[in-house]
Amino acid sequence: MNRLTLITAVLLAAACSPAEQPKSLASYAADSARLEIYTVNYPLAWMAAELVDDMAEVVFPAPGDVDPAFWQPDVDTVLAYQQADLVLLNGANYARWLAKVSLPMHKLVDTSSAYKERLLAIRASPVHSHGPAGKHSHGELAFTTWLDMDLARQQLQAIATALSQYLPHAQAEIMTRAAAVEQVLTRMDSQLSSLGQSLHSVPLLYSHPVYQYLQQRYQLNGKALHWEPDQEPGLDQWQVLDTLLQVHPARIMLWEAEPLPAVTAQLAQRGIRVVVFQPMGNRPLEGDFASLMAENIAGLERVAPR
Amino acid sequence: MNSILYLAWRYLLWHRWKTAILVIAVTLVLYLPLGLQLVVQQTARDMTARADSSPLLLGSRGSPLELVLNALYFSAARPQSLEYGNLQLLRDTGLALPIPLYVRFHSQGFPIIGTSLDYFAFRGLELADGRQMVQLGEAIVGATVAQDLGLSPGDSVVSSPEGVFDLAGVYPLKMTVVGVLAPSYTQDDGAIFVDIKTAWVIQGLGHGHQDLNKPAASAAVLKKEGERIVANAALVQYNEITPENIHSFHFHGDNTANPVTAILPVPRDDKARVLLLGRYQSDNAVQMVQPRTIMDELLVTVFAIQAYVLVAMGLVSLATVAVVLLVFLLSLRARRAEREAMFRLGGSRNLIAALMLAEIFIVLVAATVVAALLTAATLMWGGPLLQAVVMH
Repeated sequence: MNRLTLITAVLLAAACSPAEQPKSLASYAADSARLEIYTVNYPLAWMAAELVDDMAEVVFPAPGDVDPAFWQPDVDTVLAYQQADLVLLNGANYARWLAKVSLPMHKLVDTSSAYKERLLAIRASPVHSHGPAGKHSHGELAFTTWLDMDLARQQLQAIATALSQYLPHAQAEIMTRAAAVEQVLTRMDSQLSSLGQSLHSVPLLYSHPVYQYLQQRYQLNGKALHWEPDQEPGLDQWQVLDTLLQVHPARIMLWEAEPLPAVTAQLAQRGIRVVVFQPMGNRPLEGDFASLMAENIAGLERVAPR
Repeated sequence: MNSILYLAWRYLLWHRWKTAILVIAVTLVLYLPLGLQLVVQQTARDMTARADSSPLLLGSRGSPLELVLNALYFSAARPQSLEYGNLQLLRDTGLALPIPLYVRFHSQGFPIIGTSLDYFAFRGLELADGRQMVQLGEAIVGATVAQDLGLSPGDSVVSSPEGVFDLAGVYPLKMTVVGVLAPSYTQDDGAIFVDIKTAWVIQGLGHGHQDLNKPAASAAVLKKEGERIVANAALVQYNEITPENIHSFHFHGDNTANPVTAILPVPRDDKARVLLLGRYQSDNAVQMVQPRTIMDELLVTVFAIQAYVLVAMGLVSLATVAVVLLVFLLSLRARRAEREAMFRLGGSRNLIAALMLAEIFIVLVAATVVAALLTAATLMWGGPLLQAVVMH
């Protein structure tokens, strides 16, 4: 750049008038008396709520009848996320809408940042190519990370650390609560590990490809289908299942929710028992993460070989 | 006394062209050095203020001056880009809040700034109208942009292609204006802000197109090989992001390899600032600069040039003063007959001298008033006027 250009650039800045003052990070802290925490799924909302009790408001705004991973919030909801003091992210590209909206980075907490190397890749859509970018797939990472209780523990730690920074006066209380929740998660982790040992050689089926982290952590031997609990599978889907059973003789099938009675009956004819194992991406109608995960574990225990 | 001033005034009005030239000459002698001084001082103050408000800048190795001018003043010269992944690395240090800046594209002559919402909080920019940007393809415009282009929320801006003959290059993207910023009297007034991801869409790193699995896109499918689908040129790619097609927009691969022109780290405190400077000191790929230091170096050059200009102006002023004196002396000589006539009519020598001095006094007062008005105008509009002249 020649000197004349530089001088011109200097003179151009004459358009400015009031002096600007640097802002510190501290000035971004919430002005409101009560911290408002937004989350992108229910497990994070549960963990945050367990840690802050009434010290902060935890908001998970997804409607009850959607999968938060594929939900698209409206403009007002995104604006509410922007106004929140803290936004807890699940990581692993969970909630695809995040890639298409603007949120303030200083409010985002990626609860998976401590275990990036443990995220599991999946291929969710066909590979295609157009233009100079070469072939690519819109496939993503498996995202139901909280089904691995060890990863859930790390998410809890990330939330506790973030909350301690925002609520320094309550740090001790938050850490005490975090220790209590961690105990619950650790106990579940032990139970699932024991179940994993029992089920290690048992072929399983999953109604949906959402149990990758459960399988990875607890050494399960499962194959995923693409069945919906509220829909009766078509003939082609039953054929796929029958073909699969020839090489993978599963007798247990994990469902996100109770399937239709007719489906349960047809599965029973094939010698397959249904076990509801709710991933709980969204808020359950009854109970909470801990109680429903206990039910999930109990359901598995009922079918696991002694 | 009033009659002397009246006679002098009538004389000057009668010789209006000579008077006007004298007033202009004296005005310029008074105004030019003062005006230049004011513009340079104001510029220096404003530039250092913006540099002071941006304690650090992270950019690719290269000219630090280009980096600072591009990132803080949105100058056209674009420094080499660095990868967005550097932002996460910086964030992971816990020492600073990093704000991405991608200053590359333009719309109707105004720079498009790809950044995050943190930029608005950091600069203290407030919305005067509309709402904050929410999704891909939305833009916030500065006060000057809104005024010059007549934009308000709901209108659109279209990014300019980078080169007329670059057919394979950047396609224009139509973006919806959702908000207008209140005037900040900084470079931000003349900028169009979009989310960093929207800037990448402008570049073509993210795009939306027909779903190749759907029958409507069958004409665009060249071949299918198992899970691999190859599309042909008939594939419809969207040049506007709407609620109907936003679901089809996607980025290929990880965003960490996408480009930014600079990262503006807001250090946690002064210790964090020093630590960050140290960490990047020996990095061969990126550089951490202190904008104030870079601007000070630049201003040293500016002030040196200003000194030369002032010396030259001083010499020109001397010559002008000499010419003005000569004009007055020649005028006095040419008006000898006029003075003798006034003397014969009963006018005293003092009265006649007072009349001549009054004429000079009126010229000097008029020149001083005009110079003062010009100086005031320079204080108010000097920067924008100069900017407009340079832009054209």
